[in-house]
Amino acid sequence: MMLICAFVGMLLAEQTVTSYGYLFISLAGIALCSASAAAINQVVDRKTDASMKRTDQRPLPQGELSATHASIFALVIGVFGALILYYYVNTLTMTLTIASLIGYAFIYTIYLKRATPQNIVIGGLAGAAPPLLGWTSVSNTIDPYALLLVLIIFVWTPPHFWALAIYRKDEYAKESIPMLPVTHGVVFTKLQIVLYTIILFIVSILPYVVLMSGMIYLVSAVLLSSAFLYYSIKLYYSSDDEDAMRTFQFSIYYIFLIFLALLLDHFIILS
Amino acid sequence: MNNIRNLSFIGICMAFVVIALGAWTRLVDAGLGCPDWPGCYGFIVFPTNEAEIALAESRYPMFPYDINKAIPEVVHRYFAAALGLLAIFLVYLSFKSTNDKAIRGWASFLLVFICCQGLFGYLTVSLKLLPIIVTAHLFGGFTTLTLFYFIYLKSRNFQIFNQINISNLRVIAGIAFVVLIFQIFLGVWTSTNYASLACADFPTCQGSYLPDMDFRSGFNLNQEVGPNYLYGLLDNPARVAIHYSHRISALLVTLIFLVLMSRLWFSDAAPLASTLGMLLLTQITLGIINVVYVLPLYVAIAHNLVAACLLLATFTVNYLAWKK
Repeated sequence: MMLICAFVGMLLAEQTVTSYGYLFISLAGIALCSASAAAINQVVDRKTDASMKRTDQRPLPQGELSATHASIFALVIGVFGALILYYYVNTLTMTLTIASLIGYAFIYTIYLKRATPQNIVIGGLAGAAPPLLGWTSVSNTIDPYALLLVLIIFVWTPPHFWALAIYRKDEYAKESIPMLPVTHGVVFTKLQIVLYTIILFIVSILPYVVLMSGMIYLVSAVLLSSAFLYYSIKLYYSSDDEDAMRTFQFSIYYIFLIFLALLLDHFIILS
Repeated sequence: MNNIRNLSFIGICMAFVVIALGAWTRLVDAGLGCPDWPGCYGFIVFPTNEAEIALAESRYPMFPYDINKAIPEVVHRYFAAALGLLAIFLVYLSFKSTNDKAIRGWASFLLVFICCQGLFGYLTVSLKLLPIIVTAHLFGGFTTLTLFYFIYLKSRNFQIFNQINISNLRVIAGIAFVVLIFQIFLGVWTSTNYASLACADFPTCQGSYLPDMDFRSGFNLNQEVGPNYLYGLLDNPARVAIHYSHRISALLVTLIFLVLMSRLWFSDAAPLASTLGMLLLTQITLGIINVVYVLPLYVAIAHNLVAACLLLATFTVNYLAWKK
């Protein structure tokens, strides 16, 4: 998912695709760094992962892989990815990629996750970086349009993750991770999901407002955001935990389709 | 116990502020902004209007008055004095609201230490910025901060620290602590001898990996001060020797910290490893920026404060490794 977002960022940054080889090598560098971040996350959380249903099949809690091997693997691919970005792409992209690696693997996983119910809101910033990384790899500047894509993912993350957290709240409570449904209750979390979805609705229209995208995107965004809002309002009035799971699953389709719409809009207008 | 915890936390914050103000005073060359102590040109604050300035200059004709240098010095003094009052209150609380003898002892020691630190502030002025005194004054500041932090750790039972067992890392943690203190000494020595800009390039120094250096006069602790030590007196090779030592030693610190961090990482103390790592990365970056961008004021102050954070983080590792 992160790579799709980065890829869309790259494609949106230029008028026509100049070199597929260059896009591939940038994507490889970003992919290696985010894989490194994910591996570090799994090393740090190996004990917590073992007692949660969603994650207990991961290789570290299963004992198939030792923490030492996983750490060395993470270090090697992280350094390799950063070197690719430095030599073949640009320093700005390398710096931003390392910053988001540190933001996710260290600041979010090690401190925020266990410190505050706002963990995923703040940590979401690192997760929202990929379209910016893709964009800078092509343009070598921090473009306001790229930041708008970051904003969409940033606002999308809380309702996406909290829907899952409602579904898994007992497991989070058992591991004493202060997720919002654990600390502030399910009802409050559902209200937050609705509120964030409303903000997301507004933010998702911004690419049209600032003339970055056209009618195709506007129609798609309105339809998708309305559907997301429908799911979140339904979740608010529902007492069935399965509705939380449905909202979570829809949120994944949502972000995928929003980025697809951006891309389609971009290339149809060009052609 | 709670009020001791809160007050020592305020003490930590205040100590950071005082250290930052001290660094500011040093970096704007305002250490002799007031030629006397504890007043400033005989005033309780600093002279502001023309009549006062005329009076000030008639009192100290050898020291032309510069308000931009008097302000940092006076502000630093008053914040430091406020920290002293806070320490007095901490001792009072430690005898009133706890029976913990260790906390009483450390709070009392802290108070005595702050008084000595005030004395060193006086010596800094009266001995005209003698490097060894200024260096000791900064170490006193870092020690004061660490003492507040130590009392804070003792008065607060951190749950996350109870799960960490790193008593097998005592040796490497101890080595890291000693090497870090040595590196801080070199950093302060660089600053007090005005050697921060002795090498204007990075990673080379004056275009070479082995520049012309004079260690004997660079590290002569009994040096002469002359009329005063403002802007330094050492010749260039001596300053290069000091500056370059700080860089080489940074390499040594990094290597030892990498060992410590990997040991912590695999001892289920990832938060400690990652804190050290991020502080070290920040500190190295700030150091390089200091050289390449000709010592920007806020970066130089930040380099000082992050050094203090690194000291506290390494202290924490040792605290956890050595506690029973």
